[in-house]
Amino acid sequence: MSTSIAPSTTAPTSAPSRQVGAAGRGSPRRRNEKAAYIFLLPWFVGLLFTLIPFGASLYLAFTDYNLINNPNWIGLDNFEEMLTDEDLLQALKVTGIYTFVGVPLSLLAALGVALALNKGIKGLKYYRAVYYLPSLLGGSVAIVMLWRYIFGNQGIVNAVLAFFGVDGPSWVSDPQYALSVLISLHVWTFGSPMVIFLAGLRQIPIMYYEAASIDGASRWRQFVSITMPLLSPILFFNLVLALIGSLQTFTQGYILSGGTGGPSGSTLFYNLYLYIEGFQRFDMGYASALAWLLLMIVATFTAANFLMSRFWVFYDN
Amino acid sequence: MSARLSHPSAPLTRRGFNHLVVGAGTAGAIGLTAACAVEPEDVEQEPADSDEPVELNFVWWGDAGRAEVTEAALDLYRADHPNVTITTEYQDSGPYKDKLATRIAAGDAPDLMAIRRDQLREYGDRGALTDLRTIEGMDLAGLSEPVLAPWDVNGELIGVPAGLNTIGFIIQTTVLDEYGIDLPDGDTWTWEDLATMANAITAASGGSIYGTAYEMATVANLYVWVRQHGEDLYTEDGQFGASETTLQAWFDFADEMRQAGGFPPAGFFDGTTSAAEASYIAQGRTASQIIPTNNFKSYNEACGGTLALLRIPGESTAPRRGQSIDCPHLWSISSQSSYQAQAAELLSFLTNELTAWEAMGTTRGVPPNAEVAEGLLPNLETDDVTATEYILGLQAEDLPPAFADPVGATEIQSKLADVAVEVEFARITSADAAAQLVATANDVLAG
Repeated sequence: MSTSIAPSTTAPTSAPSRQVGAAGRGSPRRRNEKAAYIFLLPWFVGLLFTLIPFGASLYLAFTDYNLINNPNWIGLDNFEEMLTDEDLLQALKVTGIYTFVGVPLSLLAALGVALALNKGIKGLKYYRAVYYLPSLLGGSVAIVMLWRYIFGNQGIVNAVLAFFGVDGPSWVSDPQYALSVLISLHVWTFGSPMVIFLAGLRQIPIMYYEAASIDGASRWRQFVSITMPLLSPILFFNLVLALIGSLQTFTQGYILSGGTGGPSGSTLFYNLYLYIEGFQRFDMGYASALAWLLLMIVATFTAANFLMSRFWVFYDN
Repeated sequence: MSARLSHPSAPLTRRGFNHLVVGAGTAGAIGLTAACAVEPEDVEQEPADSDEPVELNFVWWGDAGRAEVTEAALDLYRADHPNVTITTEYQDSGPYKDKLATRIAAGDAPDLMAIRRDQLREYGDRGALTDLRTIEGMDLAGLSEPVLAPWDVNGELIGVPAGLNTIGFIIQTTVLDEYGIDLPDGDTWTWEDLATMANAITAASGGSIYGTAYEMATVANLYVWVRQHGEDLYTEDGQFGASETTLQAWFDFADEMRQAGGFPPAGFFDGTTSAAEASYIAQGRTASQIIPTNNFKSYNEACGGTLALLRIPGESTAPRRGQSIDCPHLWSISSQSSYQAQAAELLSFLTNELTAWEAMGTTRGVPPNAEVAEGLLPNLETDDVTATEYILGLQAEDLPPAFADPVGATEIQSKLADVAVEVEFARITSADAAAQLVATANDVLAG
């Protein structure tokens, strides 16, 4: 397991050690960079194949392309249409709630479990794998199907509630609850940020805590004054990634609602709406315009994150 | 690895961090979609009498059982046409629909394909499907005008029914026997009779089984209701023909039964049950429901052979007949295919050959060729005979015409699904739902 998590865990943590170790030693640093570029090579090759559809998408955003006939240039019409599109508003609302509720909850869960696992318990590798597994499975069709059954009318959740005499709602088919089912799935898949937190926690020099203990600092004080500041770049990294990932959620909504975004638009994620417009309503021009709006939204949130990070992220240099 | 992780090095530097995030962010954001354009144009055709090797790609939706019997029919064809190779693909209807759109957009259209009724014109109006009347080798002689007319759009026949189908009401007779409730007369019963029966079943069972349950958002159900009110959901010229009053009444009727107990409460349909064995009626949670009649055999088997198949209520008492011979499943030939004549020959075989239908059975409904349907009857099992006679009986009656759904029907169906849920959970009134649906439909169809 530890080898499979290597890319995500070593990436943020190995960078400083490389730089620290490289200072004043030119040759190993160059060797390291060379190795990095070799590892990045597949990504650069992939980028070429991405840039062509990227350009096509930009062009199609200004056309009325319907998947079958040639596209016609219609200027900014697609973007104007967005101004009065109620479905788009709903998609933004759903994606917004999912992101701003799900991301903090999942990061909180990830941090909590990482802190617990960092206590040096036996079988750490086993626990790390168990908690990480949902991250690998969470976006898969099978797990969303499973979730649908668990929260269905006759599912386990309602069976447990019935045991306590509570008549559970229809989690999947009630527009009031359907999104909460997916948020719970999102929180359950906290494993990926968890292993990154764990890696970050294990980097904090133990002498800081020893010194603080000698000075009589409480556990909470140590957490607030040592752990959080030193972990803040990791938290920031997780936050940025989780936000970008969350804004691009698709599979969960597609499977839970059978590709409709229902019940009554309650799981109409932005990317699902984009997909419906493109492949179900045959309006790929508009879908392309929506894709570019999403790009701008993601870019804006990421930029805002970076700006705000100045106030709370602590770097040790 | 763990040794490196525990190495007491300093936390991440800003520069290293920025590199990481920019890389990860770009990779994520760049994964957005795009597509390439294909303009339908004349494709060079392989002559109909060609002996050259021909490879036909044939796709449909359905389960493994349907695939097995279809392959059996195709094997008969392959035996007679050694130069024709037929490659097949199938999957569930949802993914099928999306995959077909992608394939056609990519210029990789199948030669012969199943198309959903509500999407026929989405493709046909945009030139993706061939006019079947113009292809050499297409034998339409055995298909009557009423069978073909709905799919004859703008003077082009863009699909033929893969099988004739309609909807029917199934009722669990053991439940009626248990509570001493009479089975209604399917030829004369009204919607009020349905409500009376449903409410009585729920009351008699102490709420352990609901009298009836059918989906308000299933467009096939709504077609019948709207026609019975003297209107058409979609008119011949592609307009939305249902009035707000009629739609409101549709929502109100179920709502009244829901309040009286005969219809299950909001949230009952959770979308996790689609197979007959897992249906609510097979689970004993409802006593009656609406089904496509080609599924009668599987439902009856799942229910222990105790179902009665009735017409939809109101057929003999409403201002106009509501039921028509519909087919959710049509065959079309791609305008991009180089083997249109060969595809037409295969389609003719699947439509008009009794041996093909003997292999396939009624998995897609009753043969659209009446002669083949009659010929097939003696070979069918009892339940299929029931469903087939039901359709043949309807065919002999004076039914209102059916029309292909106009372009935009998919979006209107989404709206129907949305407002039906909103009404079910009492988040909007049935009047609002009807008004919203009409407004959306008019808006979508206008443009």
